[in-house]
Amino acid sequence: MQMKITGAAFAAMLSLAANGWATGLATCDTGPREGWQSPETLKQILIEKGWEVRRIKEDGGCYEVYALTDQGERVEAYFHPETLEPVPVEHDEEE
Amino acid sequence: MSSTESRRARIWDPLVRLLHWSLVGTFAAAWWTRHSPGGVHEWLGYAVLSVVALRLCWGFVGTRHARFAQFVRSPGATLAYARSLIRPNPPRYLGHNPLGAWMIVALIVTTLVICASGWLYTTDRYWGVEWVDNVHRRSTNFGLVLVALHIAGVVVTSIQERENLVASMIHGNKRPAAPDDVA
Repeated sequence: MQMKITGAAFAAMLSLAANGWATGLATCDTGPREGWQSPETLKQILIEKGWEVRRIKEDGGCYEVYALTDQGERVEAYFHPETLEPVPVEHDEEE
Repeated sequence: MSSTESRRARIWDPLVRLLHWSLVGTFAAAWWTRHSPGGVHEWLGYAVLSVVALRLCWGFVGTRHARFAQFVRSPGATLAYARSLIRPNPPRYLGHNPLGAWMIVALIVTTLVICASGWLYTTDRYWGVEWVDNVHRRSTNFGLVLVALHIAGVVVTSIQERENLVASMIHGNKRPAAPDDVA
């Protein structure tokens, strides 16, 4: 009985580990990387908006930005790498 | 497996068991919600931290086998116990054995690092700061390895001592001490 429980626990952990890296919060239907604008360009646009950009990562084919807005709010926002348009997150975080 | 008649010694008090399984539940839930928006993951993190904080207190004022002083042994004694495992008839500990004890310490410390780095990442100062994120991820992965080793240790000891130690952590009872056991 106990072996069965433990086996199930191991299986569960393996499936967790295999879950991969994309967070599933947003997905961008992006083409080849040649068509992407650089994260530096995105950063400049956001800085001009008054944002304090902390970090730009890639997630689900989008640029994922960690920043403080001009209002001083913490945001994790997604942008399309080709258009640099904001991409709505599955369910926007309320802070 | 021994009969219910012979497994009567009450070893794990209700709070030890409740906190053990609460940690399992909250840690697992925090893992599942690690990408969920809306602050669920963060609240689960605080729940994990509360469980660990309570367990730390209970480790000083709790019942006999709940106390760190009862089960945490010196490195030398722990090494001696580890060596005894490869020989026949290693000693049976009624409470945590020395290796299990250090696993508990490692799990608690790792959980605190996970909680602290996770909380830090939610502050304005450290929001989006890469090293904080890395500490949070790596300590979590390390924690999952510890959990796997902890389960492996419990299974091996259960087989070797012919007692279902997972069940003991549920009902709190173990087979009473034999003359050679460490009570």
